[in-house]
Amino acid sequence: MSTAFDKVFDARGMNCPMPLVNARKEIGKLDLGQVLKVMATDRGSVADFQGWVKVAKNVELVAQETETTDGRNVYVHYVKRTA
Amino acid sequence: MRELASVWFLTWEIGSTGNGSEAYNLDANGEFVEQDVTQIQWSTDQLSSQLRRRGQLFVFDVRAREEFERFPLEGPGVTAINFPYFEMLESGCQDDMVDSVVACVERNFAEQLPKSSPVLAICAKGGTSEFVAQGLVRLGYEARTLQGGMQAWGNHYDTRTIVDSPGLSIFQISRPARGCLSYMIVSDGEAVVVDPLRHLHPYLELVRARALKISAVIDTHSHADHISGGRALAQETGSYYHLHPYDAIHPMDMVPASFSYEPLRNGKVLNFGKQGLLVLHTPGHTLGLVALLLDDQYLFSGDSIFIRSIARPDLGGQAEAWAPLHTQSLRKLLDLPERTTVLPGHFSTLEEADGEGAFRATLGELKRSNESLARLQRSMDAEFVQYLMESLPKLIPEYVEIKRVNTGLVLPAEDDAATLELGKNVCGLAQAVAHGETG
Repeated sequence: MSTAFDKVFDARGMNCPMPLVNARKEIGKLDLGQVLKVMATDRGSVADFQGWVKVAKNVELVAQETETTDGRNVYVHYVKRTA
Repeated sequence: MRELASVWFLTWEIGSTGNGSEAYNLDANGEFVEQDVTQIQWSTDQLSSQLRRRGQLFVFDVRAREEFERFPLEGPGVTAINFPYFEMLESGCQDDMVDSVVACVERNFAEQLPKSSPVLAICAKGGTSEFVAQGLVRLGYEARTLQGGMQAWGNHYDTRTIVDSPGLSIFQISRPARGCLSYMIVSDGEAVVVDPLRHLHPYLELVRARALKISAVIDTHSHADHISGGRALAQETGSYYHLHPYDAIHPMDMVPASFSYEPLRNGKVLNFGKQGLLVLHTPGHTLGLVALLLDDQYLFSGDSIFIRSIARPDLGGQAEAWAPLHTQSLRKLLDLPERTTVLPGHFSTLEEADGEGAFRATLGELKRSNESLARLQRSMDAEFVQYLMESLPKLIPEYVEIKRVNTGLVLPAEDDAATLELGKNVCGLAQAVAHGETG
């Protein structure tokens, strides 16, 4: 079952903190209720997105997945703008 | 305070390429120009030297709280503050990371982070902490960033010389962040390596620099807290890997090792150069644990006696059966001459190092200063076993899997190996460790 999303932000190859810093900016461009799919190769982004949504007042983490392509892990975060 | 600060400034000079004392630069329009990041980077070597000097060090750690709790930067003089960078983004309410750091630190940390003291920014891999250090510099702090972050610190190795004479040299190779110790013993161009850690470069560098031949690689036991470099080093250098047969079986899975090895047994002597290493079987921490006695003078104690603590007997899941064995083995070791220098497999805190940064003590000193050994000397067996059983720290779930790796049952990818090993070892007793930290 795949998670619905409205826009994709490709943060593959970016190092911490850029996946989160830039995803945060992209969220600001969404309409309320829309979901951003963030794709990252930085393993640390998994814990960071979980920690971030707890303190940010305008987002919700809908789902997180790990996709493996060509032996490389891609960490996918679905973030909804709620305010 | 004044003295500490001047020591710190000297420290910054190491490896600095230029004008490190200037806090920030302004361009022709009066705008901030961020410093060249190489000027505010600290290598793990510089961090290690700083911790050895035991000066005051403020650490601003911006990793997620769970990561900070599992693996904080520890050492004499270190005061660490944890504030995740993503909380800083929200608190600073800026799109830019450096702007957020400036806004957040001004608002929340003006008192906790005095500008009179230098600050080392750290994160997981050294990327985010660069932004944090830039922000701190803009605020007027003497700030630096740890290159490679806690991942690099966890993989940092130090080599100390215990003795270096024509007939015998002993090097202690440590991973200070993990509290793991290993040894290279050299006589007449031949070397024996005891408990090599996962990365082989510190051993191979010594082999190259001194044109050595490794004649034996020994694991004193099957390690639970870290991945052994033993088999890889033996393979790389064309030597034999030695282990006691009892530790070539996973104690929980009851599955035998997948590899071949040279079996160690009590009383065996391993000759190299002009020296011989006597094997003493000292079961307790594991069933196949051995200590190695060199020249009636140096005891490589593995995980039995540490400087401020002793090993725990429960990592094989058989504490009730193994604690009495542990007690007997410790008594056997205490019968060695008091002048014997103990070279342990672990330390709990960097404070245990002597003035030269080495982790060692004579058996006589330890009989008096080590709380667990003092207790052993005044206790009956049953009483000491009870003390052991009451002093067991929490079990680390990863340790079962690490033992599988060391028994050759699992081969982890590099990423997973690093995650398994994260944090400081917990191979000693809980109470003894706590005592060590306060005493």
